[in-house]
Amino acid sequence: MMFLRWCFPPVRRMCVCQQISVRSFSSSRTLLKDDPQHEEKLDLDIWKSVMRAQALPEDPPHLQDSTSAASVLEAHRELVETWHQAGKLVPKVITDQQLQELSILTTKSSKKKYLKFLAIKEAQKNNDKRKQEKKRAEREAGKLQNNNGEEEEEERAAGPENTFMLRLRNNSIESAHNWRTAQAMRFDQPLVFDMSYDQQMSRHELENTVSQLLESEGFNRRVQEPFHLHFCNLQPGGAYHRELLRRYGDETWRRLLITHTERSPLELFPHQDLVYLTADSRSVLRTFDHTKVYIVGAMVDRSIRVGASLAIAKRFRLATARLPLDEYLDWDCGAKNLTLDQMIRILTTVKQTGCWQKALEFVPKRKHKGFHQQSGDKRSQKKHRGGADRAPWWSQQKQHQQK
Amino acid sequence: MGFVAMSKSRTCMKHLCTWVVNPLYFRPDSPPHNITNAVRLIINPHTRYYTTKRDKQAQSPNEKGFTPRTRPAFPHSVFSAGAARKRAEFLKHKSGLDTENDDTPVRVRDSPNMVLPDRPLTPSEWTNLKKDFSRPELFEKVMMENLVRANVDVNIAKSLLSYVVQDKGTLSYEILLRYLTICVRAGHHSEVFDAYDIMRSCFKSLDLGASALFIKGFSQTDRWKEAISMLQDMKKALLPSPRNYGDVIAGAVLHGDSETSWKLYDELLELGLVPGQDTWQCLFQSGITQRGHEDKLFDVLSYMRDNQIYPEKPLMETIKAWFESLPDQKWRGKFSSVTPSGDCRNCKALLESIQLTEVEYAQLKHNVMEKVIEGGDVFNKSNPEELKSFKSFVKQRPPFDIVIDGLNVAKMLPHAAQSETLLAVVSELEQQSLNILVLGRKHMLRHSRNWDRQNMSLIKQKAHCFFTEDISEDDPYLLYAALNSGVHCKFLSRDLMRDHKACLPDSATRCLFFKWQRGHQLVISHYTPGKRVRFERILSYDTIIQTNGSSWHIPYDQKAEDRASYEVPQKWLCLTRD
Repeated sequence: MMFLRWCFPPVRRMCVCQQISVRSFSSSRTLLKDDPQHEEKLDLDIWKSVMRAQALPEDPPHLQDSTSAASVLEAHRELVETWHQAGKLVPKVITDQQLQELSILTTKSSKKKYLKFLAIKEAQKNNDKRKQEKKRAEREAGKLQNNNGEEEEEERAAGPENTFMLRLRNNSIESAHNWRTAQAMRFDQPLVFDMSYDQQMSRHELENTVSQLLESEGFNRRVQEPFHLHFCNLQPGGAYHRELLRRYGDETWRRLLITHTERSPLELFPHQDLVYLTADSRSVLRTFDHTKVYIVGAMVDRSIRVGASLAIAKRFRLATARLPLDEYLDWDCGAKNLTLDQMIRILTTVKQTGCWQKALEFVPKRKHKGFHQQSGDKRSQKKHRGGADRAPWWSQQKQHQQK
Repeated sequence: MGFVAMSKSRTCMKHLCTWVVNPLYFRPDSPPHNITNAVRLIINPHTRYYTTKRDKQAQSPNEKGFTPRTRPAFPHSVFSAGAARKRAEFLKHKSGLDTENDDTPVRVRDSPNMVLPDRPLTPSEWTNLKKDFSRPELFEKVMMENLVRANVDVNIAKSLLSYVVQDKGTLSYEILLRYLTICVRAGHHSEVFDAYDIMRSCFKSLDLGASALFIKGFSQTDRWKEAISMLQDMKKALLPSPRNYGDVIAGAVLHGDSETSWKLYDELLELGLVPGQDTWQCLFQSGITQRGHEDKLFDVLSYMRDNQIYPEKPLMETIKAWFESLPDQKWRGKFSSVTPSGDCRNCKALLESIQLTEVEYAQLKHNVMEKVIEGGDVFNKSNPEELKSFKSFVKQRPPFDIVIDGLNVAKMLPHAAQSETLLAVVSELEQQSLNILVLGRKHMLRHSRNWDRQNMSLIKQKAHCFFTEDISEDDPYLLYAALNSGVHCKFLSRDLMRDHKACLPDSATRCLFFKWQRGHQLVISHYTPGKRVRFERILSYDTIIQTNGSSWHIPYDQKAEDRASYEVPQKWLCLTRD
């Protein structure tokens, strides 16, 4: 079987003409060997001529009179476009700010990782938008039916609607929550978030931290007995402060019922009342003490930083404690560090109920295999006291050790 | 180069002489002091101290009775190549995990309903295959990916391209990229040229993957100079990889252009990239046929020495051939190994000592104190009061001969009483009249089933003890005490100290630390309760490329995948000159 191979100059008109001549030429020739198995003629190089016919017109070489910074951005934009057509996981639309961040990264793998993150986020946004449009369409379709129903109801009931009950609006609910929070600010137990980790976190981790702080503050406001939240070591104009202002907005931030200060918790509270909660501590928080001021490090460590919060507690000679995770849960896998919103759910629940079983329901289920097989609190307390006898170094103060 | 090498040898000899003066190792019945006898005196008591008793019968290696029961499970040093893999296999076999691994089913990655053709297909046959596929819109892409993975004939891929172009009217960049991968791998140069022309004309720009493939493909042909311009274009967006440079250098070497290859090699080093072994092999291969770059090739050997890189077997054989091809020098290469005393078995030359010079030692000590022990924050690993008390503790006592990582040694056996294990090790070392420091944590002092009070009292009598807080790290203190006690001090641990090595600021200091560690770390090779403690032998020579002017000794990897990054090869290439 003969394979026809021809080279064509990349000019469209000439290419088209020669294609015609090639086809007529080949049809007139007789094959050396007639293979009955192949009904169609197999031309392995036909794709080359087709692709050459689709050649792009050559762009005029644009002058390189732009500045080096703009050319670097342009080079990175071109890089993203080439990776997109190669099928890599890159975003379709990329802003100049994102390009600038991309150019700061030095290695190829970090650039790819950042672009993959942007692509995943873009896909999620598109999915959310599609869902919202679908929901809006369903709502409009439902609204038409509701309108018909409402017209019928209005025709039936000609009389006015009267009731002796006061309407419960969102403003009323928020007022009740804010009132309770204001009471807590005057009379209730403080809870401190330590904001001195901005040097140890990347920007992404800081954004995650502020998201968790927003969720923690919201949850605290809605519980029956809220804490008086303190954001300590919050530097004005620092990374935490800028991000909190960005997320809350200036007006909401000003009216927020928390205490935020650049001072340290040691300046606000007596030294002996402070307890730093950290997973690296050797003391177990067995009983929630309502007279203590508990400190939670406001940090998200996606790569675990060993001993970061314990180092701060050691520097200021604070008592430390850890949650009794091993004492109540069959720990399966994963680290003992919890997110800030999980921490505040656990602490508010144990503050209100005094029961660790109820509080530790908020520990993620993927990390443990359920509670220990115990029938009651008394037996668990008794068993843990027995455990303390087996391990004499736990015979220190049960709640915390003080240096 | 010979002068520099001789100077280095002189420095090493001076260091050994300094070591002779150390009174801890002075013996009254030693023979007259000359270099050879002094070196033998240094090494032999060194070895004797940690492996045998002092009575003469036990000293004789012929009289040692190694029964199969007491033979150590890991006969080689923890730093020898392949030791970690053997240890992993042994532990896996011991715990019975290998049986479970066989039961685990192999996960099938490819879709079962995709059948790869074994010959070029016509468009109608491709259409039939596409109908059978579960997702017809992805058929072309998935089929091309499977063709790449199966490494099929290039004509099958071409028939798929012909079908796609008839079906869709055009070809996507992705499919052409996969086709290019097949052509470059199989060495179809004319197809690579055609693909280059098409992709350059049909698409605005090429991505890095396509550029890398074109560099690799063009470098093997007469158009290898175009690969250099592609490499320069690549630099606008990203730094090219060492493999890209290696391909271009290989192309230049293949076409006899040594000047260009060396210019590109220098450019690669300037950019801070580490060349691959293939690149070095090409350069040494070109050195055999073309003269004039001997100094550059010797610089390559110096680069390997400075960065602690060991050639693999193919590169080593090329280096051997290059040395033997040098005119009027008559180098002769043989494969060799090294005796425990540091002599080459082939030429009897003495290799470089593993001991550090005084300047290197002071530099390492300062860096370890600054970066490992204190670090960025002293509270991360300890606290200032503890550090101060430990420094005064060390200052008040004479220099230690050995520092023991108490917890690491005590937890060597999984089920035994830990204080008994630690007491046995301390007793064994105390019988050799060594000044011992045991480092531990304070929970070891509280009486429990694991930490018997009587055993701990006995340990305190036999050795100096320092116990840190339970939440402090004790490894930095071990490094401090060992480095502070002088060059003779050893430390006993199974920990390879990799996290502390990573804290050091630059690569040169990390190499120094690794060298010091290999020369000073004792590891217990085998211990059964009630029997004597056996230690692994510490190497007395440094495993690094070295020369003394009349001979070269190059360690190489017999099998590259065996060696972990903290291990060193055991095989050597010995090059001697008549």
